[in-house]
Amino acid sequence: MKFQIEEVTVYFPYDNIYPEQYTYMVELKRALDAKGHCLLEMPTGTGKTIALLSLITSYALAKTESPIKLIYCTRTVHEMEKTLAELKFLHNYQVKHLGAAAKMLAIGLSSRKNLCVNPTVSSAENRDSVDAACRKLTASWVRSMAAENPNQPTCEFYENYDRAAGGAVLPAGVYTLEDLRAFGKEKGWCPYFLARHMVQFANVVVYSYQYLLDPKVAGIISKEMQKESVVVFDEAHNIDNVCIEALSVSVRRQTLEGAIRNISRIENEIDRFKDIDAGRLRAEYNRLVEGLALRGDLSASDAWLANPALPDDILRQAVPGNIRRAEHFLHVLRRLVQYLKVKLDTDKVEKESPVSFVASINSDAGIDQKALKFCYDRLHSLLMTLEITDTDEFLHIQTICDFATLVGTYARGFSIIIEPFDERMPLIPDPVLQLCCHDASLAIKPVFDRFQSVVITSGTLSPIDLYPRLLNFHPVVSRSFKMSLTRDCICPMVLTRGSDQLPVSTKFDMRSDPGVVRNYGKLLVEMVSIVPDGIVCFFVSYSYMDGIINSWNESGILKDIMQHKLVFIETQDVVETTLALDNYRRACDCGRGAVFFSVARGKVAEGIDFDRHYGRLVIMFGVPFQYTESKILRARLEYLRDTFQIKEGDFLTFDALIDVMNIKLTDRNLNQRQAAQCVGRVIRSKADYGMMIFADKRYSRHDKRSKLPGWILSHLRDANLNLSTDMALHIAREFLRKMAQPYEKTGSTTGRKTLLSQEDVEKLGNNGAQEMLY
Amino acid sequence: MSSGQVTKRVKYKTSVKDAGTPGRLSLVKERLVFRPNNPNSASKLDMQFKYITNHRYTKEGSNKAPMLNLTSNQGASYIFEFESYEDLHICRDFVGCANLMKFGHKGVAELLHRQQKLQILELIRKFIQNNPAEMICSSVQGCCKTIDYVLHSELQKLHQQFVGGGVLTEAEFWATRKKLLEKDANRKAKQRGGLKSSVLAESKPFIDGRTNRVTFNLTPEIVREIFSEKPAVHRAYLNFVPSKMADKDFWTKYCRAEYLQRSKNIAAAIAEAAEDEELAIFLKPDDILANETRRKIRRVDPTLDMETDQGDDYSHLPDHGIFRDGSKEVAESGNELYQRTLLQDLNRHAAVVLQGTPIDEEQLKDTQTVAEALERSKQERSTASKDDESSADQERLKGISQAMTIDDLRGSNDHHLAPLWIKVLSVLTHNISSTKYNLGKKPGESLLDSLPTSVRDELLHHHISIEELMKHFWSSYPITNKYLNTKVTKLKDEMSKMDSQLQVTSLLLNSLSVRLVQALEAAMQHYDAEQQKRASKAREKPNGYS
Repeated sequence: MKFQIEEVTVYFPYDNIYPEQYTYMVELKRALDAKGHCLLEMPTGTGKTIALLSLITSYALAKTESPIKLIYCTRTVHEMEKTLAELKFLHNYQVKHLGAAAKMLAIGLSSRKNLCVNPTVSSAENRDSVDAACRKLTASWVRSMAAENPNQPTCEFYENYDRAAGGAVLPAGVYTLEDLRAFGKEKGWCPYFLARHMVQFANVVVYSYQYLLDPKVAGIISKEMQKESVVVFDEAHNIDNVCIEALSVSVRRQTLEGAIRNISRIENEIDRFKDIDAGRLRAEYNRLVEGLALRGDLSASDAWLANPALPDDILRQAVPGNIRRAEHFLHVLRRLVQYLKVKLDTDKVEKESPVSFVASINSDAGIDQKALKFCYDRLHSLLMTLEITDTDEFLHIQTICDFATLVGTYARGFSIIIEPFDERMPLIPDPVLQLCCHDASLAIKPVFDRFQSVVITSGTLSPIDLYPRLLNFHPVVSRSFKMSLTRDCICPMVLTRGSDQLPVSTKFDMRSDPGVVRNYGKLLVEMVSIVPDGIVCFFVSYSYMDGIINSWNESGILKDIMQHKLVFIETQDVVETTLALDNYRRACDCGRGAVFFSVARGKVAEGIDFDRHYGRLVIMFGVPFQYTESKILRARLEYLRDTFQIKEGDFLTFDALIDVMNIKLTDRNLNQRQAAQCVGRVIRSKADYGMMIFADKRYSRHDKRSKLPGWILSHLRDANLNLSTDMALHIAREFLRKMAQPYEKTGSTTGRKTLLSQEDVEKLGNNGAQEMLY
Repeated sequence: MSSGQVTKRVKYKTSVKDAGTPGRLSLVKERLVFRPNNPNSASKLDMQFKYITNHRYTKEGSNKAPMLNLTSNQGASYIFEFESYEDLHICRDFVGCANLMKFGHKGVAELLHRQQKLQILELIRKFIQNNPAEMICSSVQGCCKTIDYVLHSELQKLHQQFVGGGVLTEAEFWATRKKLLEKDANRKAKQRGGLKSSVLAESKPFIDGRTNRVTFNLTPEIVREIFSEKPAVHRAYLNFVPSKMADKDFWTKYCRAEYLQRSKNIAAAIAEAAEDEELAIFLKPDDILANETRRKIRRVDPTLDMETDQGDDYSHLPDHGIFRDGSKEVAESGNELYQRTLLQDLNRHAAVVLQGTPIDEEQLKDTQTVAEALERSKQERSTASKDDESSADQERLKGISQAMTIDDLRGSNDHHLAPLWIKVLSVLTHNISSTKYNLGKKPGESLLDSLPTSVRDELLHHHISIEELMKHFWSSYPITNKYLNTKVTKLKDEMSKMDSQLQVTSLLLNSLSVRLVQALEAAMQHYDAEQQKRASKAREKPNGYS
């Protein structure tokens, strides 16, 4: 359908639209008009992504005089693929109705590991080894060597791409990673470098958060982006964590040992170079006198170095004299590693601020703050000068330099915590020195400063007023939308007892009780026999899941479950889990039906959707907890309190670490945000339906339950608050029967429309959206 | 086979006990020919199929050799012993089909009435499937058509009446019969029984309690499961048995390894594996599986591929990000080489079940056969063209992008094929069918039988067509768009026509037609009431539907 929002014609690829999508677009357009940032919360299942994409692309089509670029950030690669699939659908629609004018270039960008088509390189095991294998074939010195020596292997895809030069462009269209690979294979061009090159010309770029937030990556990939861009962070409820992770480093014994090995190897290399090509080291010295702004004159394949935190003007300063010469720099690194080694050798927990830490490095190891700050770039300049391609061997020394640069750059917002062992396992010595960032606004600040509009959106952003404080920005629009449902398509239940009336809980003193384990098992056995297609179960931890599945196996419960459905399980191996998920979907598709066992804090809970028949029922066994006594968390809370006046209680509610349970025994806290996330992914549209069972007696208490998101709470009826297994079974049967009936999709029978046709939208446009909907 | 004939090595016998004459049996269009290897032998045979009245064959799985026994119309029997069951089946199907042909169209129709339609259909399908197209002679095709026609003649009548009459469109008519079409299409592929969901091999070892003896029970079914879930064990079996060790020793070793595995005594497992390299094979991680995993992960649905995340995730470089804030679980370390967990086994098992079994029930005899059958099917699968796989993937990807769309925002172009409103219709059809059923059965009420055939047929036809109409009528409610509205109007016209026709027939005072009239009236009443409601609503709300 096609409709107007003020002067913008919006092309929306469906015949109908949800009212919340419409208002979402109206708000989003206001933010774009104001060239400001915005914060939008809208529950899952309302088609947020497609609303966002169609408004922004339509906006770009309407304002041809000042074209905007869309930078869409997702948390994971598979979410990126989903976004691109929706974009493809939208793009086809727009091209059909508008013709060639609507054509655009949209690409998904990922690492070499995910884009490489060179069979020898892409077979490498992990990201770092793929990167290194690629450099071995494409580094500028390797290629110049190959020009003289035909036996020197190079990458044909890169060579072809390089030969095509300006001719190597992607035609308009929407490219997923697979599309990019296919295109690269067909043309014989390297898809990774082609995509990176095309980023500056693309209308839409989709990539993961880190490409903007992590300075190590952002400096390479995102520095060319124009100011007139709209940046979207989707599923952004965890964005603060991504920000602080990007600026945190930890040093362990293994790191230091590796770093010492790395230093020795670099030393050998320097000696070798002195013999054969001393001029090169001298040239580097001269370059460093002039400043670090060296990236400009590097070829594309070498530009893998970027500063983690340095503002641009520092780059033009001269590198301090005491680390300009390669040997001197190595001495500094040796002293630094030695110092850290001594620091790490402690038997009590220590906490320090960066300022005092830097001061003590200066007095004990004789390294000043400025030298620390330049470590990262100095190291990379050196590695480049020494023509080192196997960078994956040098990760340890890179970590040390990362650490040095961060600690030398930031005087506030960080702390250094040294712990001799993990508090949960005090018998195993594992000392670690952690530089942890507390201030999420540090990493995201350049993004807010640089781009015209930044949109932060998610299904759950509550409390919504906390985010501007945490991220330190001023949104022009900050709205939270409710979902209007045509029928009660979500059925949450709180199960407190098994069919034998014994309470169930994962509370520490009850979790290993055989009665609880049996009752949980019986619940599932009953449910698999009545719920069609897919059921997802979440457990509080891997170890708990492992234990409970083993005891179900021994008591025969697992066998009963398998009479009805196949069982797939998330393990700590990502590859195995992915295959299990893929098979789970196949089993749901073919009608065999399956159960997926997963963990509340695991990777699956974080980003996989169980919509439609992939998740007719979600069972949350127990209340997920987080260990809140961790030193890092405590330090962060303290910082937030002192700097932003965010009360601990506020943040903990927000971060969903609610209510300290049973302090005497375990110091375990609840994490309801996790619970909400697990069950929040069952609904894909208003036609979809699903049930959720919160199986723990603690959910019946109001203070726990009230932390669940509003859209679940609004469907939680009082009658469903304290159920036993047989009652839940009855409710589930009734619910499924009700959902099987046809219904009026537009919701016109209930008085308020939940689905708008073209006609309705036009009317809305005339009258103003507000009065009809709210 | 492509030359339109089948030739197999057989032994020709006149009785079961006869040693038999080795030679070749050729089956051509209308005759069968046996030529002995020794050209001087007297036992030549050349006869037409039409003289054969009956054929019998040995069942697979019995102890007897694969034999086919043909009986001629003179009562003589000809026995052929084949080299394998496979050969036997091909020839049996050929003979069976040829047998069918001689009946001609009339004969087939007759057979159909003798309730043998399914068997015949099955026979012909098999024949068509096993043989290239040019071999299927015209008469077989003729037979098929006849069968289809007889089976579906009722359908044809309905089709003509409603689609021809413009009451329903082609799409509407077939929409309610989608299943029928699908079933027929699916039957082309030979269907195998699926695997059981539950883990068989996981069944507990039997411990007698007095001694330290532990007993594992192995059936061919379990063996199949073990082989397909653990390809390395399968490979080891093929390599070792019987050249290196006996079947029994192999399994003893396997069970020993399983026992060690399950007792979770890793130290003992490592110690034993160090001494016994065959045992170590069972304890080592499965390299064939690992390769398969690597291959499969490339073809996984990209919207849930978490492995690509790992390849993209810059914050999970070693020592980057937050290391110890309590949010991550402490991983247990262990000797990975000998640690296979229950969770992995369960995932593997479910994957195998989902994939299905490549071997038939009949092949579940002993370990050796199972192992060989699995191997054969594996080879077949690997030689099967890879294009097939990639096209299936393409198909799947297309499905994914389709799944990304939001269903209820889509237009209403297929709303008229909405599912039935089951509650109403099932009550109604139950009523009608029970009437029909009871009419014939109850002794005092055999009204139908007393009627002349022409009237009875007419009446039954009325019944079927009204049922069809009702199906469409009730599935159109609630009326959500213009399309359904016009459809209901058309249906209503047709119903009133039908009603007047029935009125005439009902003069015959048939209780069946009374019921039918009742059904029609109920529907019409509903229509009127609804129409009135709509009209009044439309007056209130100008944007409502009319």
